[in-house]
Amino acid sequence: MERIKENYFIYADPTKCLGCKSCELACAVAHADSDLLTAVAQGVRLQPRNSVVQSNNLIMPIQCRQCEDAPCALACPTGAIYQEEGMVKINEKSCVGCKVCVMVCPFGAITVTADEAENGSSRTKKGKARKCDLCYSRMKDNKELSCACVEACPTKAIMLVDIESYRKKLLEARAKEAVQAYKHI
Amino acid sequence: MSNKRSVDPCVDQLVPIANKEGIETVWDRYEAMKPQCGFGQLGVCCRICWKGPCRIDPFGNGPQRGVCGADAHTIVARNLIRMIAAGAAAHSEHGRHVALTLLAAGEGHAPAYRIKDEQKLRSIAEKLNLEPAGKDLKQLAKEVALASLEDFSRQERTTPCSWAKETMTTERVDKLCKLRVMPHNIDAVVTEIMGRTHVGCDADAVNVMLGGLKGALADYTGMYLSTELSDVIFGTPEPVVTAANLGVLKENAVNIAVHGHNPLLSEIVCDVALKMNEEAKKAGAEDGINIVGICCTGNEVMMRRGIPLASNYLSQELAIITGAVDAMVVDVQCIMPSISKISECFHTEVITTLNENKITGATHIEFHEDTALDSAKKIVELAIDAFKRRDNSRVNIPSYKQTAITGFSAEAIISALSKLDANDPLKPLIDNIVNGNIQGIALFAGCNNPQTTQDNSFITIAKELAKNNVLILATGCGAGAFAKNGLMTQEATVAYAGDSLKAVLTAIGEAAGLNGPMPLVLHMGSCVDNTRAVKVAVAVADKLGVDLDKLPLVASAPEAMAEKAVAIGTWAVALGLPTHIGVVPQVLGSSVVAEFLTEKAKDLVGGYFIVETDPKKAAEKLIAVIKQRREGLGI
Ligand code: SF4
Ligand code: SF4
Ligand code: SF4
Ligand code: SF4
Repeated sequence: MERIKENYFIYADPTKCLGCKSCELACAVAHADSDLLTAVAQGVRLQPRNSVVQSNNLIMPIQCRQCEDAPCALACPTGAIYQEEGMVKINEKSCVGCKVCVMVCPFGAITVTADEAENGSSRTKKGKARKCDLCYSRMKDNKELSCACVEACPTKAIMLVDIESYRKKLLEARAKEAVQAYKHI
Repeated sequence: MSNKRSVDPCVDQLVPIANKEGIETVWDRYEAMKPQCGFGQLGVCCRICWKGPCRIDPFGNGPQRGVCGADAHTIVARNLIRMIAAGAAAHSEHGRHVALTLLAAGEGHAPAYRIKDEQKLRSIAEKLNLEPAGKDLKQLAKEVALASLEDFSRQERTTPCSWAKETMTTERVDKLCKLRVMPHNIDAVVTEIMGRTHVGCDADAVNVMLGGLKGALADYTGMYLSTELSDVIFGTPEPVVTAANLGVLKENAVNIAVHGHNPLLSEIVCDVALKMNEEAKKAGAEDGINIVGICCTGNEVMMRRGIPLASNYLSQELAIITGAVDAMVVDVQCIMPSISKISECFHTEVITTLNENKITGATHIEFHEDTALDSAKKIVELAIDAFKRRDNSRVNIPSYKQTAITGFSAEAIISALSKLDANDPLKPLIDNIVNGNIQGIALFAGCNNPQTTQDNSFITIAKELAKNNVLILATGCGAGAFAKNGLMTQEATVAYAGDSLKAVLTAIGEAAGLNGPMPLVLHMGSCVDNTRAVKVAVAVADKLGVDLDKLPLVASAPEAMAEKAVAIGTWAVALGLPTHIGVVPQVLGSSVVAEFLTEKAKDLVGGYFIVETDPKKAAEKLIAVIKQRREGLGI
């Protein structure tokens, strides 16, 4: 059987995050088919898929954790959210803006905001669900993810985590500690 | 919010009303701003040139130098001294305005203004070596104004500003001249800071900081002359009993709030309003016109006229939310642009008065010295008109107000002391410091900042110091905090002063005919008036024959926020005072700058900054410093 790779996700280190929101800006621009200055000049509404949140003294960017058994994908009545290629993807075209995903996401990682580019009618306010798609649309030719937020963070507080290599590093670190402890027995 | 907004009960009463009506206040905007950018907080974001913005990663993973190669130390130092330049500019523009008005009064072009304190004019003329004897008042006013204006225009770089040189101890003047931080020309020093911090100029953080000290001393110069010349025109404050907090608004009066910093405008508005009382009554306001103050314009008219203070900086918006302010007349500095937006929800007229300071949505009435009376009249008419539109169902005046005894100019303090010893007024003060009845003197100054609970740090630290027999002086919105919260009363002295301090304050108060002690906190004026405290300190230092950095004096700005406060704090340090700040300043991104401010400055000038956000701990630190200084003096 083919081995299935676990999902990638964005990990943030709250001890390094300075709350500058560069990651929010970069994410919004990455999803605006434009650069910052043009977008602002043309009055394009910039919509980040992540959000830098302060709670007491801790600051942390929050975005989709790319859950394996994703509640949003389960709840979405139109199938706009789905698992594919190790990512919880979203097809904004199929989204009807019912906000069920917003309600079930345990991290508050989804919002529903209006899409001005959309040709709406009087029936709709053009609301679409927005969530981190790991910048899937920016995926490089070599199929490598290139996350705008990670690239923009001046303190390297956020990174794209491949759970396998992450675990490997974690194991090494833990092993080191265990070895230390063993010395004292 | 982790913090409570304020210890002021009016805030608890009015903010829910604002929330209910969907009116945003400073606290909402502060919440919405979170998280605030850490690079900015650390001071490591540079926008000085157009290759930027550049920011330095304080964790060392990302970039350590801006595009031009400036490191965190250079960037932080440049940002800081630009703040000092802005503070110095703000204060000295105010000073220049007053000096020019004095000149116009001397030349007879400013009918609304006259020389109210002749004695002070003569003593200033003497200080500035102008040989006043036998000269007529107008001539003298002109000479003093011109000599003061020379502090803005002198090109001889080695001659220090007169207002700086003649108001410090000689030892201090020598020390500051040797360090090359003594200003020769206020304008030139502000310009110099802008020049030396341009891309590709002064990059040595310590040298940049010395430029900052010079800028701060230029600020001192501008402030000093501003206060003294205002006293000449409007009178030197004397103790007066008045009231503070929003309860001073009156339901049955045309309420005019004067807000900002400049007495040149507010004084005339007060004069004119007094004369237009009948018109207000005709419009249906039984109690006529009620003028209240906000921020330091408020402090100015409170000190000189006993006009009550409605609020200090952070609660200025709430004045409008009471629904009872008919006009808010603003001049310069610390005016939240939001007031014009909030006034749209009420009948309130927000009136700007200076062409350099307009707010979108406000009514602008141009104010000039020569036509001051006409403009003031127009302003009061607008207020009366607005009163007619007031919706009484939306009036919510909180019932909180506190008595406040204010008006302790240096002259007023010396005069109170002279009741104890007419020949040598400073002697009782010095004796009590030497024998330990008064352990030391603390000057509280500065703003409010929503990053702390409004007024709380002021009150907490002051009570703690008073208990330990430290004499407390206050200016600016700090003074506002004490006034609103009842610490400028005789009762507060009884309740909070340590035994020996209580005894001294009672002796002075009784002798001065107050039928009881002096108030716990002495109100020395607006934030531009901090030099009043220096005047007392320098007199004590001269008498003892020691410099300021030996005396048990401390300063504290526990809720600072303005560029002006950065400038004031820095000159307090340059004069030799340990100076506490209770909000973390935007300098921590550079160890060199932080060390300069808290350590190296001590070696150079004797003063230094103490950063402590916890008011209890701050009080402990200030008391420890006072003890240390006493030991140094062997008392
Ligand atoms: S860019 Fe980095 S430091 Fe800035 S808010 Fe995002 S995660 Fe935090
Ligand atoms: S949006 Fe929320 S629930 Fe959905 S995958 Fe991301 S973290 Fe999980
Ligand atoms: S808002 Fe859109 S994506 Fe979310 S559950 Fe409803 S249809 Fe699906
Ligand atoms: S990975 Fe891309 S989509 Fe996800 S938060 Fe970062 S920038 Fe936004």
